[in-house]
Amino acid sequence: MTQVLDAPGAIGPADDAPLLEIENLGVTFYTPRGTVRAVRDASLTVRRGEVVGIVGESGCGKSTVAFAALGYLPGTAVVEGSVRFEGQDISELSEAELRDLRGGRVAMVYQDPATSLNPTMRVGPQLEEVLREHLNLSQESAQQRTLELFESVGLSDPERVVKSYPHELSGGMQQRVVIAMALACEPRLLVMDEPTTGLDVTTEATILDLVAELKDRVNAGIIFVSHNLGVIARVADRVVVMYSGETVEQAPVREVFKQSRHPYTAGLLECVPRRGAEGEATPRLRSIPGSVLSADEVADSECLFASRCPLATEQCRSEAPAMRSVGDTHESRCFFPEQVRAEIWGDAELRAARVSDPNAAPVLAVENLEVFYSSPRKKYLLFGPPAEPPVRAVVNVDFEVKPTRTLGIVGESGSRKSTIARAIVGLTPKTGGEIELETNSLAALVEDRDDDARAALRMVFQNPTASLNPRRPIRHGIVRSLRRFSGLSKDEAGTQAGELMLAVGLEPEHLDRFPTEFSGGQQQRIALAAAFAADPAMIVADEAVSALDVSVQAQVLNLLADRQREDDVSYIFITHDLGVVRYVSDEILVLYAGHIAEMGATEDVLPTPSHPYTEALLSAAPTPDPDAERTRIRLEGAVPTLREAFTGCFFAGRCPRKIGDICDQQQPPQQSDSQRPGHIINCHIPIDELTRLQRSDPEVTARTNGEND
Amino acid sequence: MVAVPGTPDADGRADVEASKPIWIWRWARAAYNEIMLLLRTSSGRIGLPLIALHLFIAIVGPSLTPYPHTEFHLEHRLEGPSLEFLLGTDQFGRDLLSRILSGATSIITMSVVGSAFGIAIGTAIGISSGYKGGMVDEVVMRIMDGFMSFPGLLLALLVATMARGLEIPLMSAQFEEKVFIVITIAVVFIPRVARVLRSAALTIKELEFVQSARLRGEPGWYIVFREILPNTAPVLGVEASVRLSYAILLASSLGFLGLGVQPPSPDWGRMINESRQFITTSTTFTLVPAIAIATLVIGINLVADGLREAHQLPKETPQ
Repeated sequence: MTQVLDAPGAIGPADDAPLLEIENLGVTFYTPRGTVRAVRDASLTVRRGEVVGIVGESGCGKSTVAFAALGYLPGTAVVEGSVRFEGQDISELSEAELRDLRGGRVAMVYQDPATSLNPTMRVGPQLEEVLREHLNLSQESAQQRTLELFESVGLSDPERVVKSYPHELSGGMQQRVVIAMALACEPRLLVMDEPTTGLDVTTEATILDLVAELKDRVNAGIIFVSHNLGVIARVADRVVVMYSGETVEQAPVREVFKQSRHPYTAGLLECVPRRGAEGEATPRLRSIPGSVLSADEVADSECLFASRCPLATEQCRSEAPAMRSVGDTHESRCFFPEQVRAEIWGDAELRAARVSDPNAAPVLAVENLEVFYSSPRKKYLLFGPPAEPPVRAVVNVDFEVKPTRTLGIVGESGSRKSTIARAIVGLTPKTGGEIELETNSLAALVEDRDDDARAALRMVFQNPTASLNPRRPIRHGIVRSLRRFSGLSKDEAGTQAGELMLAVGLEPEHLDRFPTEFSGGQQQRIALAAAFAADPAMIVADEAVSALDVSVQAQVLNLLADRQREDDVSYIFITHDLGVVRYVSDEILVLYAGHIAEMGATEDVLPTPSHPYTEALLSAAPTPDPDAERTRIRLEGAVPTLREAFTGCFFAGRCPRKIGDICDQQQPPQQSDSQRPGHIINCHIPIDELTRLQRSDPEVTARTNGEND
Repeated sequence: MVAVPGTPDADGRADVEASKPIWIWRWARAAYNEIMLLLRTSSGRIGLPLIALHLFIAIVGPSLTPYPHTEFHLEHRLEGPSLEFLLGTDQFGRDLLSRILSGATSIITMSVVGSAFGIAIGTAIGISSGYKGGMVDEVVMRIMDGFMSFPGLLLALLVATMARGLEIPLMSAQFEEKVFIVITIAVVFIPRVARVLRSAALTIKELEFVQSARLRGEPGWYIVFREILPNTAPVLGVEASVRLSYAILLASSLGFLGLGVQPPSPDWGRMINESRQFITTSTTFTLVPAIAIATLVIGINLVADGLREAHQLPKETPQ
């Protein structure tokens, strides 16, 4: 093994002695809402130079385990079991020794970089503070080391970053700064809790590259917590799968993904919507039936997964399995690990093909849509024109949605997909263009539209908890929709609300419960029930499944597809997740900074030829396959906010395939393939040329603009 | 899961197949739970009895007076506490205990009613203005700012003096006085409550369930009162407790300045003022109403603090 040279203080080749040993950890929180057993039994080991990925859905306890590694649990927590760092039990350390440990030998990176940094201090001094505190460096050497650290995490202009405030940096740059702070004292163990979850997929890709590089360069042990199987597949060496507070499987990454030995892991992998081969009929997503049992419903003497497991027997319900070795460094908490295969989750049912008439009139036709936000501040305090030119959020967007079809809108944050959704639905007024619902022109604001239009066009939001009034029982939203749009009496509405609940897979008896009594997935289904209430022609789903766990997401996606067939409803499905959009959409629209980059049928848009932005998105998206061949097209920077009409292409600032001045001077023409007239790409590069470039030379190094991330 | 409608079943939830009064029952149960929760905090354990005591004397006080509160005992003027006069006497020999007991009702009623009006109107204005936004919001808030730029007591003086000239038929002079104090308190509170509730409304109106209500075509007043208002409960609770204690201080201050209810009605604030010239002779005369006011305000504040603390307590304590 090679000596690591440029990390002074790093001990050398990966020791075989474990860095962190967690044994039979149990954590219980005493909260105003009740006692929560967040972790029941977790054991794992981390060695230097390896990345251990902890994966699981919400509530499984993975973040709690990560915090326990630092001894960083609140006073309301009661801890059982042991956590040993370099052989020493953490619970025996004093407060001062623990402070020394954190930051000095163990460091943490959190999910939201913006809240990890002090917004009132410039970024450089924040890092210098860490260095002076833990390493006792002088002011000058701290400043010098800060610059070195910033450069080592890939920030290309360290002097500028040192003088910036956190809000002046993009999300990716902020996260790099946080990582630099974590590395400042050359920690032996780095704990990263969902560090890329809040970032765009292109930014996430660059951060994951950095983590992979760090692993080799710094020889620290890394714990990487995530709910995203694709990210874990890309980054981890070993994977720990958690369910309901317990570790259920531990293995090298390839084995977990290719040969899992626990039914839950196999189930999770089956739930992920993937980019399948072309020409395949769309299967139903397999989903894990039921939901995670709440803490008080579980006996200590049964397998926690038994109620949802296809392999469950009497033994599973009367005895709790322990983690057992099922192979070389592979452990599983199951009585029947050798029976685990993807097929135990049922055959992939193919969905009945949809009947849709290609010549039917579109349900929704959007022409030349423009949404500009004008500056509220005026030039002369109260009078005069606005002080700044308006934000040109959505520019010249045209598309159509035919009956019983789904249009997927993909883009990163800042691409303005939510703005389009809100403009269509009338929450944000359009400032130009036409929106026609079944040939009736719609008013800009929902308050000005008539009831029929409102009934026909409904919306589902990203945050299921905020979609329901927490102070009203859930029947409120559904019954109000029914009464307003269908004019039903209170009793009739009540009955129909019950039917809607059944249609979304919930029980009518629960109508009088309050939203907080339901899980996120159930809340989203309730929101869907309200949306379906008046037999809409179209539903706009704005990141409707993005906040849901993978297994719950599968259930909701199946539900949406079933309802589409039964009720003849069209969808506009907005998401940033390429796997989901591929699975769900008939047509895809790729959006960048409020402009259409590419649009067409799903089978045309995703393979080559693609718009360079689509190509970059596809390259960046992590897939749950550790062996997947990945191209490394990386974009620097973030999606811009545009104020002036510019002369060139909207993507020219970041395009890795920019061909020259023409990209800065002329708007790209709308091109389409002669054989596929519905597929349009807005690019200067001719389609044939694009096809040739993308097939023969997929990797293009990103052009640096002097700005990064 | 058959249960008597309205009573808690095995899960502790009272299922709603019942008739109309269900929401009263739910409110009563919620109130009971709050009180039990409150008693787990030290603030609550002191504050709740204080408030209970004041409520008690407000309701039954006037009938428990050992002497009629207007009766003079000229041989026992400005005496300290004794067996005969448990809290001493005032400058006319009137029993202070009786006067305190008789005065409790009016100060508490005026404060509560004044606060209620101030909070109700302030909330309506604040939430509506916050939801409407735009120019309407600007104008309304600037008007509120105008009112707030007057110091509270000065505004109270203004209203009280203007009101003094008016004579409303069908109201006795005494009742009229109390009405004016209530109006004063309400007017002082409206802009302050409006500002706080407006800011709460600004956050809530962006939440998705409000957007869903807009998409359903619900009219503005419906959204304000049926969607946003119920969700301002935590903010309202805090405001209500703060405002109530201020109302008592305001009413007492008005009484002190002579603008409260006129003699011979026993007004705690006025009693303090009257006691000023005799303070060297009888400190009791000053202290008794002062302590009465102070314990009431402290009780309210302790309960408010206790409620906040109680909601952060863990449900069970670790072994």
